[in-house]
Amino acid sequence: IQDDHKLSTSELEEKYGTSINKGLSSARAAEILARDGPNSLTPPKATPEIVKFLKQMVGGFSILLWIGAVFSWISFGIQLAQGAESPFDNLYLGVVLALVVILTGIFAYYQEAKSTNIMASFSKMIPQQALVIRDAEKKELPADQLVVGDIVEIKGGDRIPADIRLIFSQGCKVDNSSLTGESEPQSRSCDFTHENPLETRNIAFYSTTCVEGTATGIVINTGDRTVIGRIASLASGVGNEKTPIAIEIEHFVYLVAGVAISIGVLFFIISVSMRYKILDSIIFLIGIIVANVPEGLLATVTVSLSLTAKRMAKKNCLVKNLEAVETLGSTSIICSDKTGTLTQNRMTVAHLWFDNQIYSADTSEDQTTQPFDQSSPSWTALSKIVTLCNRAEFRPGQENLPIMKRVVVGDASETALLKFAEVILGDVMNIRARNKKVAEIPFNSTNKFQLSIHETDDSNDKRFLLVMKGAPERILERCSTIMINGKEEPLDSEKAEAFQTAYMELGGMGERVLGFCHLYLPENEFPDTYPFDTDSMNFPTSNLCFVGLLSMIDPPRSTVPDAVSKCRSAGIKVIMVTGDHPITAKAIAKSVGIISATSETVEDIAKRLNIPVEQVNRREATAAVVNGMELKDMSLQQLDEILCNHSEIVFARTSPQQKLIIVEGCQRQGAVVAVTGDGVNDSPALKKADIGIAMGIAGSDAAKNAADMVLLDDNFASIVTGVEEGRLIFDNLKKTIAYTLTKNIAELCPFLIYIIASIPMPIGTITILFIDLGTDIIPSVALAYEKAESDIMNRRPRNKRKDRLVNEQLAVYSYLQIGIMQSVGAFVTYFTVYAEQGFLPSTLLGVRVDWENNAINDFEDSYGQEWTKYQRMYLQWTGYTAFFVSITIQQVADLIIRKTRRNSIFQQGLFRNKVIWVGIFSQIGIALILTYGLGHVTALNFTPLRFQYWFVAVPFAILIWVYDEVRKLFIRRYPGSWWDKNMYY
Amino acid sequence: GVTLRPDVYGDRGLQIYYNVSDNRTWEGLVTTLRTFLTEYTPAAQRLNVNCTSDTYFIQDTFDGPNKTKLSCKFTSDMLQNCSGITDPTFGFPEGKPCFIIKMNRIIKFFPGNGTAPRVDCTYVGDESHLLEVDYYPVNGTFNLHYFPYYGKKAQPSYSNPLVAVKFLNITRNVELKIVCKIIGAGITFDNVHDPYEGKVEFKLKIED
Repeated sequence: IQDDHKLSTSELEEKYGTSINKGLSSARAAEILARDGPNSLTPPKATPEIVKFLKQMVGGFSILLWIGAVFSWISFGIQLAQGAESPFDNLYLGVVLALVVILTGIFAYYQEAKSTNIMASFSKMIPQQALVIRDAEKKELPADQLVVGDIVEIKGGDRIPADIRLIFSQGCKVDNSSLTGESEPQSRSCDFTHENPLETRNIAFYSTTCVEGTATGIVINTGDRTVIGRIASLASGVGNEKTPIAIEIEHFVYLVAGVAISIGVLFFIISVSMRYKILDSIIFLIGIIVANVPEGLLATVTVSLSLTAKRMAKKNCLVKNLEAVETLGSTSIICSDKTGTLTQNRMTVAHLWFDNQIYSADTSEDQTTQPFDQSSPSWTALSKIVTLCNRAEFRPGQENLPIMKRVVVGDASETALLKFAEVILGDVMNIRARNKKVAEIPFNSTNKFQLSIHETDDSNDKRFLLVMKGAPERILERCSTIMINGKEEPLDSEKAEAFQTAYMELGGMGERVLGFCHLYLPENEFPDTYPFDTDSMNFPTSNLCFVGLLSMIDPPRSTVPDAVSKCRSAGIKVIMVTGDHPITAKAIAKSVGIISATSETVEDIAKRLNIPVEQVNRREATAAVVNGMELKDMSLQQLDEILCNHSEIVFARTSPQQKLIIVEGCQRQGAVVAVTGDGVNDSPALKKADIGIAMGIAGSDAAKNAADMVLLDDNFASIVTGVEEGRLIFDNLKKTIAYTLTKNIAELCPFLIYIIASIPMPIGTITILFIDLGTDIIPSVALAYEKAESDIMNRRPRNKRKDRLVNEQLAVYSYLQIGIMQSVGAFVTYFTVYAEQGFLPSTLLGVRVDWENNAINDFEDSYGQEWTKYQRMYLQWTGYTAFFVSITIQQVADLIIRKTRRNSIFQQGLFRNKVIWVGIFSQIGIALILTYGLGHVTALNFTPLRFQYWFVAVPFAILIWVYDEVRKLFIRRYPGSWWDKNMYY
Repeated sequence: GVTLRPDVYGDRGLQIYYNVSDNRTWEGLVTTLRTFLTEYTPAAQRLNVNCTSDTYFIQDTFDGPNKTKLSCKFTSDMLQNCSGITDPTFGFPEGKPCFIIKMNRIIKFFPGNGTAPRVDCTYVGDESHLLEVDYYPVNGTFNLHYFPYYGKKAQPSYSNPLVAVKFLNITRNVELKIVCKIIGAGITFDNVHDPYEGKVEFKLKIED
């Protein structure tokens, strides 16, 4: 690490071969530029767009479908060469399959492209121009031309063009929020103030902003070697872990592809050994693949996820990476920032102490009154000091805004006091105007007090009022009396003791405490015309009258305690990670419930038992407050031990870098970790986390880019709503997949039976695509709108390894139970249609070769009628249509039963999810259009079906519904039984 | 549907090619016809009744044996010159071949609306040449008494009526496209998808 901040100006000049007055020579600068490269961040090696696109084209089921398409074309080629009658069917099928792959690929690519690149905003942060001294002249140069050793001048409003060591500064303040997330401007000078180059005042960092003042400095790092450059490369170095849902979908794809390939190959072998032609066997193989692959499912999943993402956006969770929607649901640990996330991010008066008594103030977000007892004359005196001894002011023109929302010019504590006074007394500005200020000493770090002298608005009282506030112990030192119930009483040791107790108590709650005192200056000594001089302090500043204490805190958001307890019941551990003082951190943790009322830290136990900390049995302490300094010295095992043994953990005084360590620690425990962050240097942790959550208001661009999710209102409670949505979508995706997989059996069986029993083909490959990509799409998306069956926030987060999206039970129940019922229903329809048209089921067996023979145009049916080839084909298409229609009808029942996995449909409500009904109507509507609207388009193989054939499968649809209700009933009745274990998916 | 005998299918439908001087090329065709007509010998038709009426043979009752309906006799001699009786080679070696046209059975189908449907063969597309055809039975009609068909169970011995066509002026060594349509009310032959509905199309080439 560099030590440039420790060097003197001349040493710097020597080190970088530059001169403060003349700067570098152009020639030398060009040399260095050639050596170091331009002053810009190298974008990470981006995967070329075309590669990303092609990846989408071969991912998931695409390979299987490509194989299908290629086989189709091969068989087209063979048939064309053989001069067969209708080779173009296979060409079209191949084209359709390819189109399906390409369109779903484009869809997926588009979704991915929407997720923005992390480097995008880093590069946006680069300043355009910089004012440089070269060849003893001031020049405007593009910032990427800067080299080490250049002398640059910056002024308020500029972005710092590189890491620079300041050599001259005038009131310079920088906003480091893009680096640290702290929005308070920090002053910069030429003084070496800290060993750590990141903390010292004489270095300004690349990409931060100069808020005010001017400065001159030597460039010490450029481009990727700057602090932010290193963070950027660190962030891009942290690998993007696969999201849990991506893993689940991959698992599901492997499962389905495995089934498709094994059945396909098995039946290829069977058909070859049954002396089918190889060409025919290949065509069967295509059919089997198409039947097995749920072509529309991955798109459906994407749509469902984006619907949830939209819903979450309405609840202030903006999801950048769609899959993160579900990740949030499987979160088991949330590492949350304190300031702004758990708290309101504004100082608020929390307690008062006067008349020897502590009063609590309302700290909620929308306070309009203060309920504590304001009758005491001591309060009147105290309120006067609070009002007058305060330099903060409301920006004008906000009279109509609620007090809490108004913008104030002034520091955090003064703002708190101003608003507090405004709430209780009303129009503070007017009160101040009536009590004209005649002299003032602002707060400074040596005095540790603030003082002002006012005329009073009491026209009978010509005395001046001196009011003072400051650090309580310093204020008390200056007092000789104390006000009790409006009367001044001598400040004896007993009263001083009471003060100490109150001060300790308020301080112990992590609050910032201020003391207030006043003095009426005697009229004879200080007449109207008395010239108050704040430099010589020609007025008393001791023997004042102590009035009271006010303590302030950044209070928790009112929704947070509830959200934390929700997390607790949902089995999610909430860990607070903050840069704040441990006492404040602990106080907030306690008030929001991160540390519950009954649990103790090791230190608490030690204090209670009055034994040294080392003797406490660490296992007894459920809570832990870990200081960043301790964390630094900890080994990984020690950290693991803490994360493992304590259920309630607060990390205080931590640096953003340590956040990464904490996240990694949690991940070692097998947890799915959500992390909140706002600063640039939070980005590695945000990237590393399973789900990084950036703050929408306080967050820097880099943090937002590194994150998977942006919390628009910075509110912790929004994360919890996100978790709820994430869990719901996981359940609903399960339902969607179960729904989609079911009909695959009904699509597959026709091929298998066709091959084995040589019946006329019951369903065409194109027809299958119309189910998978037509009738089934809207219903499967509709399941994403299903409400939760029970309180999903009362169960533990899902176990990544055990609770799979597609488990054995789901596959078995969908494929082998409902799927088989559906196939039976569809075959009954098929045989009904053929029987009614002339072919009894017995005549269909083994009929395939003659049936498909073009040379037989007087094919005899069961009634002695004779059929031409085309008439048979038309009947076959009618069979396809009937098969298709009966699958559709049964899918309606399948859709209804998939609404719940455990509860009865009647418990869930048949009509609560209106979208399901949209799905059902769309399903039937599309089927009607296909059969009656497009029934005459030969290429599609649909025929205008006789109306009665629509109802053949209805009993099976009812059977499916009843069967599933019985299944659910037994699951509810006999929890933990064999039935429950095997029938619940 | 309408079918043709002999029926030799090539890649694009019926193709009947033979060489008059090479009896191996037409013997198969002749055998096909002969085999096909074995169903129409008087012995094979003995269960069927002689019908003389030229109207539909409507049967509301089951008058046949074992509760069946009666079927009308169709014997191959009705095909006269194309019966294979007078000319066992069906005119193939002379280059004036016989073909047999058969209508598919359809239950309760009343073709022709009272007029007997007849076969009409022409060249396809080529209007300038007139195809000279002899039709057997006369006029190439399917007598109405063969209709309607009541199904396999009701009429177990039913045989389709036939019409034989004998082409008289086939140009040698040219592939000719011929269509034989069945003309009659209720019979359509304009379904673009089905080449065998109400008609049969075939290619004929006689070499020497």
